[in-house]
Amino acid sequence: MINAIVRIGTTTINVTKTFRDTLSFAFIIILKMFNKNSYNSATRQVLIHQIYFTSVQILPLFIGISIIFGTLLMGIVLQIIKNLGLAEHLGRIIMDIVVTELAPFVTVLLIALRSSSAINAEIAVMKVNKELNTLDKFNIDPVDYLFLPRVINGVLSVVLLSAFFSILVLTSGLLFSKLLFGLSLESYSNVLLSSANFYDIIISLVKCCTFGFFITLIPIRFGLHATNDLTSIPIAVLNGMVDVFIAIIFIEVLSLILIFI
Amino acid sequence: MRLFEDEVTLDKELNDFTEKNRETLGLVSLDVPLISNLDVSVNIALIKQYHENLSADKAQNLVLSYLTRYSLEHISSKRNPALTNKERFCAMLLRAAMVRDSIIVIDRPFTIIPDVKDDRFIYDALKVVDDSFKQCHIFDYLWFKDRYGMIGL
Repeated sequence: MINAIVRIGTTTINVTKTFRDTLSFAFIIILKMFNKNSYNSATRQVLIHQIYFTSVQILPLFIGISIIFGTLLMGIVLQIIKNLGLAEHLGRIIMDIVVTELAPFVTVLLIALRSSSAINAEIAVMKVNKELNTLDKFNIDPVDYLFLPRVINGVLSVVLLSAFFSILVLTSGLLFSKLLFGLSLESYSNVLLSSANFYDIIISLVKCCTFGFFITLIPIRFGLHATNDLTSIPIAVLNGMVDVFIAIIFIEVLSLILIFI
Repeated sequence: MRLFEDEVTLDKELNDFTEKNRETLGLVSLDVPLISNLDVSVNIALIKQYHENLSADKAQNLVLSYLTRYSLEHISSKRNPALTNKERFCAMLLRAAMVRDSIIVIDRPFTIIPDVKDDRFIYDALKVVDDSFKQCHIFDYLWFKDRYGMIGL
């Protein structure tokens, strides 16, 4: 019994410590983000490379998944709307499902699977190879040079790819709305525009930014946990990715609560 | 030239010296490796880009001109694991020379270029970039004393 209580207490302390450390690290990054001295030719170059690796290289896969998954889902959703006789809520349902919920979630999952794991491994390898020591000896702040461009890239990539996903899926929605409801392009656009809610778009934007921020920040933090031992790399990546997944669920739940209160 | 009898003393003296000259330090050491996911040219250009905000193009051209002095233009797009020991040493030396008014510190050079038997290569490599640094200090073990004929004690 006492052991169980001790275990619960230890776990609670560890979780609280992880949460607190993540937030304090986030605070440092945010401070740096708004400090113009953090930006120079080297950080801009890293940012451009990161955007290329995260947002451009992923495009073929992203477009494929958006079209296949989005089109099928739109077909099912519109069919259900028709069967339930909810045609007058068509625009609202599409906007809520696609723009506010589906687009950020699918985008963040894809980017987390591809880029967060890469960032986590990259930072861990740099730590093991003493490359962070190199930056230190040459008076290069790793927050400016390594972390900040990756976090900014995470925010930009999730926002832009999420918007792109929404456009692709809403376009495929046009096809089904024409087939099922006989809506023209103009009518479909009007339905969507009249259903667009400024508050929802802001929530969606904030959610994308928060997703992008934490799915890059957490892997960086866990990458730094690697020791000088090669075997610490997979452990750092594993722990980091589990926390990224928990963060995604946490932010998603938080945003749902915000929307429904 | 600073030679020491044992590793502990060498590490301590090196640490003291690097901390004292932190602002202008250009360290060449196996403990300060090239960043493995960057090309040699980006590794070297990074110093100028970060500290002097030199544009990427200008920094790359500058690095290429320095690599040409060593006839090592061909390594500009290579990464650390693909370099020979001598190429790696030159790349690390160039990176150190990129620091403004740099005080170059070479930590145990024969561990970076173990296939080199005397200091002729180090001397020649330093001579090529002698317009780019203020001072150069070599930290090594006393039992390598005989290898330093060119640079002298």
